[in-house]
Amino acid sequence: MTTPNGPPPLPPQYTGPGSPQDVPPRPGESPIDPATLPGPIREELEAPDPVAIDTSAEELKDGANHCPKCGATDIRHKPGTDVLVCLFCRHEWHGQRVEEEFGFGEGHDTLEGTIVSSGARDIDADTSSLMSFKCTACGAEVTVNTETNMTARCHWCRHVFGVNEQIANGAVPDAVLPFHIKKEDAIERIRQFVGKRRLFALKAFKEQFTPENVSAVYLPYMIVDGKVSVDVKGKGEIKTREYTRGSDNNKKTYYDADVYRVERHVDFTVDDLPLESSKSRGNLDTKANTNNIINTILPFDTKNAVKWNASYLVGVSSEKRDLDVEMLKPRLEDQALSIGRCQVEDSVRQYDRGVRWEQEGLTVHGTRWVAMYLPVWLYSYHEPGRNGGMLHYIAVNGRTGETMGSVPVQQWKLLLAAITVGTFLEGIALWILGSM
Amino acid sequence: MSDDGSLALLLLGPAGGTGLYWMLYRYYRNTDKSHAFERETKIDAKPVTGTDQKIGENNGTRDRRIAGDNVADFRERVERLPRAGANTGPPPLPRK
Repeated sequence: MTTPNGPPPLPPQYTGPGSPQDVPPRPGESPIDPATLPGPIREELEAPDPVAIDTSAEELKDGANHCPKCGATDIRHKPGTDVLVCLFCRHEWHGQRVEEEFGFGEGHDTLEGTIVSSGARDIDADTSSLMSFKCTACGAEVTVNTETNMTARCHWCRHVFGVNEQIANGAVPDAVLPFHIKKEDAIERIRQFVGKRRLFALKAFKEQFTPENVSAVYLPYMIVDGKVSVDVKGKGEIKTREYTRGSDNNKKTYYDADVYRVERHVDFTVDDLPLESSKSRGNLDTKANTNNIINTILPFDTKNAVKWNASYLVGVSSEKRDLDVEMLKPRLEDQALSIGRCQVEDSVRQYDRGVRWEQEGLTVHGTRWVAMYLPVWLYSYHEPGRNGGMLHYIAVNGRTGETMGSVPVQQWKLLLAAITVGTFLEGIALWILGSM
Repeated sequence: MSDDGSLALLLLGPAGGTGLYWMLYRYYRNTDKSHAFERETKIDAKPVTGTDQKIGENNGTRDRRIAGDNVADFRERVERLPRAGANTGPPPLPRK
């Protein structure tokens, strides 16, 4: 990963998480206490969110894949085939977890250099995304556009086939994480999400709201393991005295503090960090798009991803990867630095006046890259406006059910509410001042 | 009440209105949300090491926090240190 003799890399040139942007608030965190707000607004804020399933508890901790038919875990590989068999109910199905198959779940501590799996190798610009197949059933020529689809049905004999060989156009990843959340479930979550955001929602959005139009899509990601070290240097202050000066009407508080030079170093491994490997999805500029919504429903239980098989994509659209490992490295380094800064936070708690980090450094010892398709339920609404308007997404994580969305607002309604509350507060302030 | 106190009270209306606007806007549009990878990724970290050295005093300041406090702004990038072991060498000669 590192080039020992090269110059330090240029700062990453993209917008979004990992770049100069706010760290997202913790779940349920609100800048204003809802109890102080008018009833209708408070009701919306306090309504329950769609419940996200904690797959880390259900599926990751025991590390077991359950039989989809009976739920048993007594599952064995059927010798000589790619089929798994449930020893309890004899149900058979495809699916080898890449975690065990390729050893992606181990060896983080011994990672060295850049390991790229076959599905994550560089995209060959000359490879067409259109692929022609000869139907094995009737001999007809069928074309699959791998930009959006990985399977096709022969229009003559209805035979279904998919792209399983790893072509160098980035369309075939190493692994796929099949959908767990059903369409009815996704519709219900989107309805619940929008249900608690109706008061100030755009009128046209509410009128045209049809969550039944939600579509299933597999989006391309790179799942990265890494072994890195982060160094940070800066200054911290500890308060030694606090005192007030001045007369009754002009009291001012002053502070005395000791200044320290602070240096920290931390070594850590990262397991399954997901990065968008589509250029357009990776652009998280919230002024121009709502891709941050899809970014928010990360992470997925990528430990349960299975080896690529196009059969998982029957009837589901997909987006092709168009970024290579080299292009994603600045983004990984950026996120690794953020993780490092988060890791050292607890070690500088004694600086009660805070720490100003002035320099930071990163050494990447090793990384491992796996290309993966992750399942997302996507509902979209186009709000007309300047520069082509804004495409608002509501996204449901196809595994955990985590739901996030962007609901367009009716600006005049929102302004009216803000002015009304502001005027009310100002009235109270004037009353207090007048009565003194 | 001091002049500062009266001014703060007079600002209650505009500040409250603006605060409510931004809170509701973010609640609907979720522009502040993104993948909290710092907390939601499995990290296996070795104990943090480092040094703390007193270099001076900052007495008589009115600020509650150190100037430029960025301890919780994990995503705010600062100057990058050269890589460990990197051969920085002398600067390149100017081209003729």
